[in-house]
Order: sequence, then structure tokens, then C-alpha cells
Amino acid sequence: MCESMRAFGGITMRVIMDFALFTQFIINGLMQGMVYALVAVGFTLFFGVLDIIKFSHGDVLTVGAFAGLTIYLIVASIGIASPWVILVLILVFSISVTALLGAVVAKFLVIPLKQARAPALNILLITLMLGTALREAVRLFFPDGSSSKAFPALLPGGAFELGMLSLRFDSILLFATGVAVIIAMHTLITRTKLGLAIQAVAQDEETSKLMGINFEAIVLMTFMLGSAVAAIAGIINGLYYNEINFTMGLLLGAVGFSAAIIGGLGNLYGAILGGFLFAGLQTFAVVVLPIPIAYKDVFAFGVIIILIAWRPTGLIAETSSERV
Amino acid sequence: MKLKITSVLVVISLVVGTSSATADVIKVGFIGPISGKLAANGIAGRNSAELAVQIRNADSHTQHKYELVALDDECKPNIGVQVATKMAADKDIVATIGHFCSAVATGAVDIYHKFGLPIVVWGAIAPAITYGNDYGEVFRTIGTLTSQNETAIKFMESRGYKRVVMIHDTTAYGAGHQEAFATFAQTSGVDLVESIGVTADQQDFTAELTKVKSHNADVIYFGGLVDLGIRVRNQMDKVGVDAQFVGVSGIIADTFIEGAVNAEGSIAMRQGAPVEDMPGGPKYLKLYEEAQFDNPPEAYGIYAFTAMNVLLDAIEKAGSDREAIKDTLAGLPEKDYAIGPVRFDSSGQNTFSLITPVVVKDGKWVKVE
Amino acid sequence: MNEFFLSRVGVLVAIVFAALYISALLYIESETMVGALVIGLAILWLVGNRTGSSGRLSATIRKNTRYTGTLSLIAVITVAAFFYNDHFNLLMLTTVMIFVVACIGLNIQFGYTGLLNFAGAAFFGAGGYTAAVLTSNTAMPHLVVLLCGGIVAVLIGFILILPVLRTRGHYAAVVTIAFSLLFRTLVEVNQVLGGAQGAPVSGLNLFGWDFNKNFEIGGFEVSFYINYFIFASLLLLISIIFSRTLERSWIGLNLDTIRLDEVAAMCFGIDIARWKTTAFAMGNFMLGVVGAFYATMLGFIAPNNFTFGDSLIMVSIILLGGIGSIPGIILAAAIVIILPEKLQAIEEYRFLIFAVGVILILLFRPNGLIRRRMRIFPGVIVKADTSV
Repeated sequence: MCESMRAFGGITMRVIMDFALFTQFIINGLMQGMVYALVAVGFTLFFGVLDIIKFSHGDVLTVGAFAGLTIYLIVASIGIASPWVILVLILVFSISVTALLGAVVAKFLVIPLKQARAPALNILLITLMLGTALREAVRLFFPDGSSSKAFPALLPGGAFELGMLSLRFDSILLFATGVAVIIAMHTLITRTKLGLAIQAVAQDEETSKLMGINFEAIVLMTFMLGSAVAAIAGIINGLYYNEINFTMGLLLGAVGFSAAIIGGLGNLYGAILGGFLFAGLQTFAVVVLPIPIAYKDVFAFGVIIILIAWRPTGLIAETSSERV
Repeated sequence: MKLKITSVLVVISLVVGTSSATADVIKVGFIGPISGKLAANGIAGRNSAELAVQIRNADSHTQHKYELVALDDECKPNIGVQVATKMAADKDIVATIGHFCSAVATGAVDIYHKFGLPIVVWGAIAPAITYGNDYGEVFRTIGTLTSQNETAIKFMESRGYKRVVMIHDTTAYGAGHQEAFATFAQTSGVDLVESIGVTADQQDFTAELTKVKSHNADVIYFGGLVDLGIRVRNQMDKVGVDAQFVGVSGIIADTFIEGAVNAEGSIAMRQGAPVEDMPGGPKYLKLYEEAQFDNPPEAYGIYAFTAMNVLLDAIEKAGSDREAIKDTLAGLPEKDYAIGPVRFDSSGQNTFSLITPVVVKDGKWVKVE
Repeated sequence: MNEFFLSRVGVLVAIVFAALYISALLYIESETMVGALVIGLAILWLVGNRTGSSGRLSATIRKNTRYTGTLSLIAVITVAAFFYNDHFNLLMLTTVMIFVVACIGLNIQFGYTGLLNFAGAAFFGAGGYTAAVLTSNTAMPHLVVLLCGGIVAVLIGFILILPVLRTRGHYAAVVTIAFSLLFRTLVEVNQVLGGAQGAPVSGLNLFGWDFNKNFEIGGFEVSFYINYFIFASLLLLISIIFSRTLERSWIGLNLDTIRLDEVAAMCFGIDIARWKTTAFAMGNFMLGVVGAFYATMLGFIAPNNFTFGDSLIMVSIILLGGIGSIPGIILAAAIVIILPEKLQAIEEYRFLIFAVGVILILLFRPNGLIRRRMRIFPGVIVKADTSV
């Protein structure tokens, strides 16, 4: 009797432990998925409006994170202590930097090429090179930019502990911020005048021009918007991992791009779905599959390739099937 | 200068005067990661080698004038093979010191052997570099990672740690540490519960660490370089792993303390000892400071300084012939250098090696009391 | 007749100049001199375009292929003789030729057929790793090893063929980008293939001739890299002839049609899946063979050789040179590979400068340095250049 009770108790304990662990994995995955989704949303936005892939997007995220760190270092040195004030300053500054960067890129690289009717591949390549240039610039011009940098922990610490589960307050806050950003974006695009204009340009450039929409202004706005979201993703990433480095945007860019593609380019929901799907695949590889953990990216990208073979225009297909 | 066959007169007229080495200047090489993620260590190494050359040139007893040729291996094995070829193929260079990254050195030693260029490895510590071949050209002043893991096990035993999970990168460096640690763990009271290999540029470790959490480990033993170490240390807090963080020598750098939010209390195995505690450490630090380099000497600059001094001693004796330098290095009598005594065994490995556990205390790496 | 003679002299001067230029670029150590050479070439380029002499030159070259070919061959041999004992520069030149062949393979895929492939370095690496495994573990003749490199690359390509066939444009790009990232991690983690550390590869040995030994000609000790240099020239020659013949053949016409308009191609009864598969396989085969050859020359390969970044470099070479244009590829490969190497003293900044340079060229010369000329059939009037 006693024996069986203990055995039973043991099993219950294991179930609780496993459940806690399982939840922990889910939480980690959700957090990563949120960052991926934020990056993917940018890709999908640029594609929706201009039919282009802006591959430097991941590195814009890096620039955003480093801009945030810069202003933090300045602010901390003049002695502002309130973390909330600092946080607002970081967000404002890094969003301004990336938005400006986005506008410059749109104005001087993308629109001229688009007007010259350059092949889509050239735009992809030019933004890839721009990404390299940004990455190198961060490495070279940020003091000691080649090493990992500590990103300050500005959010309230502490965690909700349940056995094996540790749910940190700052993670919850960051996740909520991500959700808020996505909802705000969605509202902006579906409910505001600017959003309608963006949609109009996305649907038909010529007609929208005839309707009196300032095409160039809308494109600039879109790029500023997308880049601002990248900055937020960069800050979230920094606050979550407490560490940033100049290569962080490279893989995030590739993952975000894959996520946007697999969700269906030009589709906001698709990008979000793709982001969480990718994180889910990585977590699945770690938790369930009996393969060395280091293969998790191999697995995730492999599944992406298979999914594309299955649904060549993404899981949520574009309404106009082919835009390239 | 090499004599070229005629047909290309124009080129020769372009080139004459731009490059011709004077006879009594001897060129020696330095290879290290001058750019890339480990640039801090590479630059410190280059500066220290430069320092050794400057001091030698200023010394009135030296028979030759020396010139340093520094090349960048970017800590990438393929680039390493390329610059090693460049270095070895240059007949004006008589010998070199090289490599901070084990993965690079392991790949490049074949090249030095092929071209007969003597090399003293200053910073890479995988055993295979000296013991994995029978190349007479390869020497090393720094110890191997084997003794580091032996010390790590002893340290863990003395602290009463039982359950260890190792996270290591899959390069020769991380995998080498894993192999050595696993071997020593078998015959000790330390239980290596799991070893998790990760790629060297991975950003997210929360999934791995959650797995670690389920093992109830006392220690996370980390085998890899500083960037990865910072990430693992930071993310331990994210998933609530409260094990002791112990790292290999690769994480010992100021960047670890700057980069990790809770660096305090992190322990690592130091190759040798903190620079101030080495026999010639204070003197080296003073000279380095006087030379007014732009970058700090880091933890391993002193090893490049020593390797270059050993090499220059050999050249003083042997002259500028590669073969003679190689033989002289092999037969070098035991002598005290900045890092302590140096004498090579039959594989070219320095027989003296000291490991000191160090800990981050008040923002500095200090000896564990 | 006089004009004919003059134009031939023009070609001769151009080739001699090119050979001298390359030799000078490789030979010179001083960064300022290299800088001056680069600026000099840029000015010459602009002048050539302004006065229209580049156009006349390329027209003559196209009319006198055999003459130009022979001269180029002589020039290549002369350059090799000049660097006969200079290991490093021979290594550089051979690397350039290897990348040219790789890019010609890639060009069949996307210059002719319009198939995007951002995993060029992965197929190149598949060949390299095949060579590593086969030369270390078997006694297979090395010529067969090189062929196996190509075959393995083709087989791996077939895994991707379904998604590649089903997708177009950006969707196709992500398939190959994902594969490129996947391949690198796969070889990096997989200890059987040497892991992140990489794997050693034996030097080439063809019919008893050891490529890794220096040898003597008339008292001059010659660098062993000459062996690789000569073999690479052969590979280059074969691939140029192959690519040119393909372009001029009805197959090339089919491929071009598929690139320009798939629907139209289908209307004319062209089997799109079949020709896309063929082009993909041909390109990957060339990538695999030179990948294997590259590995034997380096003697050591690591996952780092075959990253997504390297695939990008291959794509950049094609775009810089001008999509579909073989002379363009040769020029661009020389620039992309030799320049960063020569500018090592500003090594910290070299990637930044390179990236900005490519951006500028794409912005101001979007068709590349040497634009592809469409085939000319006597009797048919070709009005517009449809190479874009």
C-alpha cells in the first residue's frame, strides 16, 4: 500500500515536473516566436507595398538595438535613474534612427531602382549588401563593436516560480509589448487613412496614383513603419537576452524572411503564423526529436523547404497568386 | 628579391623600388584573429608580439634587426589555411608565431609542415595541434586544454559538486574540452549528466537550458569562447537555472564581465595564472603600458609576447635558415620567460603548464581563494 | 581589310593589357599602388564607354572567337610563367578561375533559365566534402573523385527540385536560402564530416602525377600550384566552350524562353519542368566538380568555406559581371576575389567597402559591368537587347 502510494506520488510529481518543463519550453518558444513574427511582419509589409524583399531588415534590427544601447550609455552617464524614463528614451531614439534609415533606404536605393525597372533580384541583392554594410558599420564604428554587449535589464525583475517553471515578469511584459505592437500595426493598416493608402498602393500602384495618393510618401511611410517595428524587435530582443551583438540580425533576418514566405508574403497574419511556426519547429526539435540539439535549425529549415514544396505560395496564400 | 623572367618589363618597372628587403633585416610572422569576433585577443597578441620585436631591436646585444609581419586568420579555419600559405610561401619570412583559435591551428599545421616554416603556437590549446601529428615545425608555449579539464574536475570535487551538465560548441575547441572532461569525469566523483553540443554562433539557449534545468545540475560547465559564454550565462537567469557557472579558459576576457549581466561569481579555468601573478607578468604589463598601444593586453597577450621571445632567442642562435631555427627550437634549454619556464618535449609542446581556477569578483578575474 | 586588321590589333592590345594588369595587381604589395591601379581601370572603363571603343572591341571579339581564344590562352600561359614560383599568387589566380567556373554553372541556372539559386556555395561544398571523404577513405582515381563531386551535387540538388519547380521568384529564393543555411549547420555539427573543424583533403594525383610537388623546368623550380593552375585553366576552357555551345543551341533558346516568359514557353510546347531540372542539374554538376577540385587544392575544407555569405558572393559575381555574360563573370570574379586580398591593410574595412561598392554598381550600372549580348543569327534582325 505504502509502496504503491509512493509510486503514485512519484508519478504525480513527474507529471507536474514535466508539465512545468513543458510550459517552460512553450514560454521560451512563444518569446522567440514573437521576435520572429515582428521581423516577419516587416518583410511582409515591404513586400505587400512594393513587391520587394528588403533583406537588410535583420540588420536594421541590429542597428535599432545598438542605437538603444548608445542612448542608454549616454543617459546613464548623465545620471537619469528611472528605468521607465530610460526605456522611453531608448524606444524613441532607436525608433527614430531606424525610421530615418528606412526612409533613406527607400528614397535613395529602393525607389530609384524600382523606377528604373531593375530586376527584383537586383533589389534583393542591393539590400543584402546594405545589410552587410550596416553590420560591418556597427562592428567597426561602435566602440569595441566586435564583442557581445550587455544590454541593460530595465524591466522589473522577479519571477513567478512553480516547481520547474520560472515565469519572469519581464518576459511577460515583453511578450505583451509584442502583441500590442502587432495589434497596433494591424489597426493602423486596416483602420486608418494611412493604412488604407498603404493597402491601395499594395493592390495597384498605378490606380492608387490616379486616385491622388502620393505614392512616394506612402512608400517612405511604409519603410519607416517597418523599420520602426524592427527597432522594437531589436529592443525586445536586447531586453530579453540582456545581450546584443553585431551578428544578431543576420539569422533573425533569414528566419524572419522564411517565416514571412511560409506564411504567405504580403499577409500580416501569415507572417505572425510563420514566426511562431518557426519557433515551434525549433522547440519541437529540442524537446521531442531524438537528435542532437545542434540540429534544430537544420530541422526547422528542412521543414520550411518541405512546406514550400507543399504550399508554394505560403500557408495563407496571397489573393493575387503571383506577384513576381 | 626574386628574379622574374623577362616578358613583363612594364610590371617590373612599376614595381622596382616598392618592395625590396634589406639583407640584415629578418622577417618574423604573427598570425591571429585581428578582425572578427575574437579581434580583442588577436590585436592584443599582435601588439605583444610587436612589443617583443621592438624590445629586441632596441637591445644592443642582438645580432639582427627584426621586422614583424602580421596576418589575420579571422578565427576561421579556411582563412587560416590561406594566410598560413601566404606566410609560409613568403621566403623572406623565417619563422612565425601563430593562432589563437584551435580550429584554425589544427587545420593550418599541415601547411607549415608542407613549407617547412617553424611555428610557435601562442594561444591555441587543442592537444592535437602538437600531439596529433609528428611535424617537427610545430611548437607551443601555452599548455593544452587537457590539463585544464583535469583541474576543473579536481576543483569541482573540492567544492562538492556532483552533477554536471556540459554545454560546448562543436568546434575543435569545444569538442576537445568535452572529450577531455568526459574522460577525467569517468574516474572521479563528478557525474557528467549530459553534454549538449551547440553551434558556435547560436543566439538562443533557452531550450537547451530548460533541458539542463530538468537535470537538477550543480554545475553548468561551459566549453567554448567568450561570446557564447556570455549568452549561456545570461540566459541561465531567464529560465531560472541556478547552477554554478564554470567555464573553460576561452571565456576569460574583460568582455565577459562587460557582457554578462550577472558575471559575478562565474568561475573559469585559467591557462597559467592572472597576468599579474605570472613570473614576468608585472614587468610585461609595465612594458605594454609604456608602448602605448590602443588596445589592452587582454588575458593572453603575454603568451604571444613569450612565444615571440622564445622564437627570437632561437633565431639569434640559428640565424635566418628555417631548418636551423626548427632544430634550435627543438633543442632549446629550459629558460624562464614571462609566463614561467619553457622547454619543449619531443612533440614541440611546452612541458610546463599551470592551471589556476579564477572567479569574477568585483568586476575582475581573480584567483579563487 | 585594314579595319579588320586594326580591330585585331585592338584585341591583341586589350588582352596584353589585361594580362599585364592582372599580373601587376597581384605582384604589387603597396596599397596605394593597388588603389591607383583600381582607379586607373575605372577611368579607362569610363573613357572606353564614352568613346564607344569598348563596344567596338567586344564586337570584334565576338566575330573572332578563335583568334581571341588563342591569344587569351597564350596570355594565361605567360602570366603563369611569370608567377612560376610564386605560390600565393598562383593560388589566387587559380581560385579566381575556380570561382569563374562555379559562376558559369550558376549562370546556366539563373542567367539563362532564370532559376534563382542562393545555395551555390552549398553545392560547391557538397563537391568539396565528397572529395574529402573519397580521397581520405578510398583509393578511387582522382579524376573519378572530381566527377563524383559533381554527381553528388546533382543528387543533392534533386532533393530540392520539387520545391524549386513549384515556386518562382522570392518563394524560390527562400528554398535555396534555407537550404544554404541548413547545409552549413549540417556539416558543422556532423562529426563524421569533421564538424566545425573541417576535414583534410588529399592533393590531386592524376595518372601518377602528384599535384602537390614542386618540380623543375630547365633549372627553375616551379611552384606546385602551377599544376592546379593548368588544370583549372582546362576546366575553365571546357566550361566556357560548353556554356557558349549551350547558349547557341536550341536548348539555350528553350532556356532563355523559359526565363523570359514561362507561359509563352508552354504555349510553344516547351516542357518547363524538364528544362528547369536539366539546367539545375547542369549548373550543380559544374559547381560540384570545381568544388571538389577546390578542396583538393586547399588541402583542407571547413563549413566556413561554404556559408550563405559565400553563396551571395557567387551571386554578386554574376550580377556584377552582368547576368548571363561570361566575360562579365571573369572580370567580376577577378575583382571580387583579388581586391579584398590585396587591400588587407585596410582589412578591417574591406567588407564594408566591398558592400558599398556593390551597392553603387547595382545602383548606377544595373546591367553589370559587361552586359550579355544576345545571340546573332545571320539573316535575322534582332531589334532590342532582351537580356534583362
